[in-house]
Amino acid sequence: MKELSIKQTISIALETGKVMLQNGAETYRVEETIEKMISSKHNSEVDVFVISTGIIVSTEINDEPYTIVERIPSSSIDLETISRANSFSRLFTNEDMSLEDATLILDGIKNPPKFPLSIRYIFSGMAGGFFVLLFQGNFQEFIMAYIASVLTVLLFDKLTKLSLNFFIKNIFGGFTAATTGLLLVLLFEFFGIHGDYNKVIVGPLMTLVPGVSLTNGIRDLISGELIAGNAKMMEALFIAIALAFGVGMVLQIAINII
Amino acid sequence: MNILTQGFYSLLCVVGFSVIFNLPKRLIPLASINGMIGWIIYVILQQLGTSFIIPALIGSIFVGIIGEISAIYKKQPATLFIIPGIIPFVPGYGIYYTMFHIINNDFIQAAMSGAESLFIAISIACGVVIATSIVRFFRPFIERKIVTK
Repeated sequence: MKELSIKQTISIALETGKVMLQNGAETYRVEETIEKMISSKHNSEVDVFVISTGIIVSTEINDEPYTIVERIPSSSIDLETISRANSFSRLFTNEDMSLEDATLILDGIKNPPKFPLSIRYIFSGMAGGFFVLLFQGNFQEFIMAYIASVLTVLLFDKLTKLSLNFFIKNIFGGFTAATTGLLLVLLFEFFGIHGDYNKVIVGPLMTLVPGVSLTNGIRDLISGELIAGNAKMMEALFIAIALAFGVGMVLQIAINII
Repeated sequence: MNILTQGFYSLLCVVGFSVIFNLPKRLIPLASINGMIGWIIYVILQQLGTSFIIPALIGSIFVGIIGEISAIYKKQPATLFIIPGIIPFVPGYGIYYTMFHIINNDFIQAAMSGAESLFIAISIACGVVIATSIVRFFRPFIERKIVTK
């Protein structure tokens, strides 16, 4: 078996870190993973610097400095990928692996098994619907929030495929959440079933709210990763602003009409 | 009774979010029970009438500790159990009402609910960090327990 060169090792480690970061892993975990993977095959000192939009790895190869920068495009959350990348890094540090094997496994990590679409939509409705019930919604509002969440996640998935700018994408997301929520409340009102639109809109909105980036960002700040934390917090803040923008537009129009 | 129904709702809510985040199927039961325990603690503390920060803080400490221990047990990163678990605490209503008050030109109310949501988010993060540190401290002991089992 041909041994991996140091440069190949670094690029494999970098790719693993990139996949983890893109799918919602914490900054310190990505740094640790990359560092462990490289130092398992290479004895010089390795420095890794991770923020949510990029990774910098620097080390010495034959007394020459070697630095590589990887730009990270915007991300979504996929926990299956993190789990797989984690076990891959463990395998990689403990065993010798050929380049072909490593690339093959990495390709597998990048295309993880997903839930069938129907199941995904059924459960995303549950996420939004039961969140409304947690905050003292009643059964009618649960049904409305359920339908609205399914529609919102469906549309947001379609928007993600278009690779729009994240701000615009989230404005549309908020817009969809508010529109479907309001329309459903009006529709049910027509049949004599009353619902509070404030409660109904929050359900689908929760499926889009950047709760993970927000808490991960604050976690980074608390543990002293000031720049990484700031980047994550800013991302979360701007997603929240975009969502508020989308919802606000709809509500403003609705309040003026009704 | 109220606590039981709330626990049931939060369990299903966390299952829903686990599917949205594409959590591996075999880990969903553990993650959702984790979220449920966290939410029940949150509700109990809220009914005792403490401030709005304490329930989220203590709740996420519990979610964090259970998440870290299950991570050691299942040999998976702890994030997988913590992310779905803390979702019910995320101040969705706070963010919504901040925006709602801004639309209605009620900036004082908006500042209030905005600050409240920010502090809830900070307390969730603090809770998780505290939990991680506690578990890190007791890690050798926990690992020994799990291995001997």
